[in-house]
Amino acid sequence: MCGIIGYVGFRDANKVLIDSLKRLEYRGYDSAGVSVIDKKQQLFKDVGEIDVFRKNLPNFKGDIGIGHTRWATHGGVTKDNAHPHLSSNKKIAVVHNGIIENYSKLRDNLKNKGYNFLSQTDSEVIAHLIEDNYKGNLEKAVFQALKKVNGYYALVVTCTDEPEKIVGARKDSPLVIGVGDNENFLASDITAFLKYTNRVIYLNDGETCVISKKDIILLDENNKPIEREENIINWELKDAEKSGFPHFMLKEIYDQSETVHHVIRGRISEIDRTIEFNENVEILLKNGIDSIDIVACGTSYYSGLVGKYLIEKLTGIPVNVELSSEYRYFGTRNESSLVIGVTQSGETLDTLAALREAKSSGCKILVITNVIGSTATRISDAYILTQSGPEIGVAATKTFTSQNLVLFLLALKIAKLKNKIGADELYKYILDLKELPRKVRQVLDQSSEIRDIAFQLKNSKSVFFIGRGINYPISLEGALKLKEISYVHAEGFAAGELKHGPFALLTKITPVIAIVTNDSTYDKMIANIGEVKARGPQVIAVAEENDTEIEKHADFVLRFPSNSNILSCIPIAILLQLLSYHVASLKGCSIDKPRNLAKSVTVE
Amino acid sequence: MKAVILAAGEGKRLRPFTETLPKVMLPVANKPVLEYVIDAVKKSGVTEVIIVVGYKKEVIMEHLKNYKNIKITYVTQDKQLGTAHALLQARNHIKGPFIVLSGDNIIDQKSILNLIKDKSEYSMLIKENPQPSKYGVVFIEKGKLKEIVEKPKEEVGKFISTGIYKLPKSIFAKIKELSSEGVYGISSVIQSIIDKGETINTIIADLWADIVYPWDLIHLNEAMIHKAPSSVSGVIEKGVIIKGGVSVGKDTVIHSGCYIVGPVVVGQGCEIGPNSCIFPSTTIGDNSVVHPFSQVRNSVVMNDAHIGSSSFIKNSIIGRGSIIENNFSSVDGNSTVEIEGEFKKLEKIGAMIGEDCNIGSNVVIEPGKIIGRKCKIAPLKRIIDNIPSNSKVM
Repeated sequence: MCGIIGYVGFRDANKVLIDSLKRLEYRGYDSAGVSVIDKKQQLFKDVGEIDVFRKNLPNFKGDIGIGHTRWATHGGVTKDNAHPHLSSNKKIAVVHNGIIENYSKLRDNLKNKGYNFLSQTDSEVIAHLIEDNYKGNLEKAVFQALKKVNGYYALVVTCTDEPEKIVGARKDSPLVIGVGDNENFLASDITAFLKYTNRVIYLNDGETCVISKKDIILLDENNKPIEREENIINWELKDAEKSGFPHFMLKEIYDQSETVHHVIRGRISEIDRTIEFNENVEILLKNGIDSIDIVACGTSYYSGLVGKYLIEKLTGIPVNVELSSEYRYFGTRNESSLVIGVTQSGETLDTLAALREAKSSGCKILVITNVIGSTATRISDAYILTQSGPEIGVAATKTFTSQNLVLFLLALKIAKLKNKIGADELYKYILDLKELPRKVRQVLDQSSEIRDIAFQLKNSKSVFFIGRGINYPISLEGALKLKEISYVHAEGFAAGELKHGPFALLTKITPVIAIVTNDSTYDKMIANIGEVKARGPQVIAVAEENDTEIEKHADFVLRFPSNSNILSCIPIAILLQLLSYHVASLKGCSIDKPRNLAKSVTVE
Repeated sequence: MKAVILAAGEGKRLRPFTETLPKVMLPVANKPVLEYVIDAVKKSGVTEVIIVVGYKKEVIMEHLKNYKNIKITYVTQDKQLGTAHALLQARNHIKGPFIVLSGDNIIDQKSILNLIKDKSEYSMLIKENPQPSKYGVVFIEKGKLKEIVEKPKEEVGKFISTGIYKLPKSIFAKIKELSSEGVYGISSVIQSIIDKGETINTIIADLWADIVYPWDLIHLNEAMIHKAPSSVSGVIEKGVIIKGGVSVGKDTVIHSGCYIVGPVVVGQGCEIGPNSCIFPSTTIGDNSVVHPFSQVRNSVVMNDAHIGSSSFIKNSIIGRGSIIENNFSSVDGNSTVEIEGEFKKLEKIGAMIGEDCNIGSNVVIEPGKIIGRKCKIAPLKRIIDNIPSNSKVM
């Protein structure tokens, strides 16, 4: 989504802002802007990518400023609609992420008072509204202005009358303070300032903050000062760089040989034959669980579907997987259900709303996320971190794998607590987990073979992915990856469903990717491939290394390491990620920044 | 000063260990050789390295993603034609004098510093070697290089080229000129420079070590392991005895009753014991598990390996991701090993097991046998021959 940054300190603000915007670019990127104070607000905005923006940016002097990358919601992609927005007297500059729901009413009121609007955005209202409330103290003006606003926001504001301070405020949109020496930062995301500091203070909903070179003041929803401790972030800036790979996505796919260890390490013990989570999770799980609802969006939703399969198979507990955007408005609530929210960023607005909705219905909340300190972790009863490091590529890769693994560990833990699996069976699963990193490595080592097959898909207009059981959600995710980054129309289907409709779309030029595992679904999948072949399309099978039978049925075969078990879905998903990557790469697509998409969606 | 590190090579003689890893990524005391090279240049004040990658380059880039305090730029050599051709790929990143090193030779920081400080436009590091015929032998007159003879058939001298040079930017024009005549090796380029009357200073390197054959990994591990910092993190249960220089990585658990005598390096996320013995000079890679009552000595166990109960491993290499069941035994002794058509006589050598093997319980491997990658060996087998990769021993 939109990315915002504020800087005050001893450095050249222009340089810090553009550097941070570049790092925030992945959140949203149709236009951008900065304003730097040097007696007056020096403002520059433009449409297009940050690299071009950087070239055209005038050399503003000053050590305090704010910046923004925009992903349009209200008003088209134009220079005027880009942030920062200035107040009518040109003294106050505002960057905003979120949506002001009552903006048209506020706009009419302000227009009647003589304020002059230059853009179609809801955000510009805030600039004029702050000016309207300004009586010599910016934080008070922001506080007063926000009282009149309905909606949600992360805001960063400067004013030329008080050129030493930046005011920030948040409600339902992310904003963190970066604590430096003789300099401070405000940003929607830690990676924006990680180059300069790894000390952060999280802002809660409804709070305001004032940062200057030396001081940070936090104000609660009643504008009373409060104290809060700093957190140290263990991420390295290097984690957020491509380190030689042509794209973040490819780097993050390769990261998985390491990130799978991060999920397992410290949580399972092969010698002691145990699975352990942090204390809050252990308490939550020991309370006894009769049913589980998983809420999530996008790739995380597909991970939820994988989780459903794993948990139901291992524990027998019924699992209901809902899209957050639907769950929050529809469906029934069972207060004895454990609600699991799956969100990479911990800031996905729909998922946060669904979790709040569940909480107010009396459900216990467990969150699976990649970002410690994110809003999701703070509204949960307990959370499990996927520990994947920052994911910059818009298409989720390593976090999908880590989410699936966390859900597997969770399923095992619940099964153990409920005595659904014995010690020997648990040990067998632990050995499967320990063997997983080598399977991941073996899939990554086949990248060039996968690339050869990608040539087959390069010119396709439409591609089908089919699978059964746990490989049905993997088919959905495989199709999503291909759509997202290579702009090829792709759909995932449960293999048995093809004949109930989708067959009508099959033609000779619709390749079908079939996931075939050597388990109880094998014969059915072979039959499904036969049905497909009878209608003319090419079939690319994703099959086990030692499956010699499959070559008789499929046109092309991609291999994953043998010994099908419940965890084979992980190397298969990675194989499909590489396939999508290579198709997009052969087509020359903008892989890390696919059109119209943003990394974490913090609007409804 | 910038440094160019050549890391594109495959290392065919090191198979099966290089089937999925470039040679520079082979571990010595739980750290890839390439990292020793970068550490040394960084400590000598080099601020930017250009790494020429090719074979399995993603493995290198993935590993170095968290390497700190030095700028790393990658250039790709698509076909591994030769060292000069590899160096040529870095030409756009070089503005002045630079040093070039091979990523698969361990070198110390002091020697690099001496090379950088040397006043001559061209300088190189040389080293005395007991087997000069494997390398480029150098002939020297008053400290200047006279001639390099690549892999001479007869014993002609004792100093060899380490392949580490300080060179001016103008070298690239010469490489280009010679490559049009089909010359792709740095030694040949240097020879042609001498022939044209340039002088090349030679400096004797302090520490320089090369890996040519798989068993060199055991010897180099033994030579370098005492340099690893001894620091113990992770969980050490009650009743563990640790003597000498031992390094234990974070998230590792050493269970009760283990007896560890350094120098020993145990990586991160490992589980050892209970009641297992690790003797000098052994490295256990990250995320590996050594089950109860096993003994490992003077061996290299790579990452993600699994060693079953009551196993005995001596003078051996266990490739990453290999799973060895209970009661495994590597018999050590004398052996003659064939590599790429050459026969090598080895003393006190155990088993060399490639990556991702599955070895059943009660398997015995005779001295000096090499098991390829992804082999499966059924229980109760005695292995008396080398086993090629992807084989099954039923």
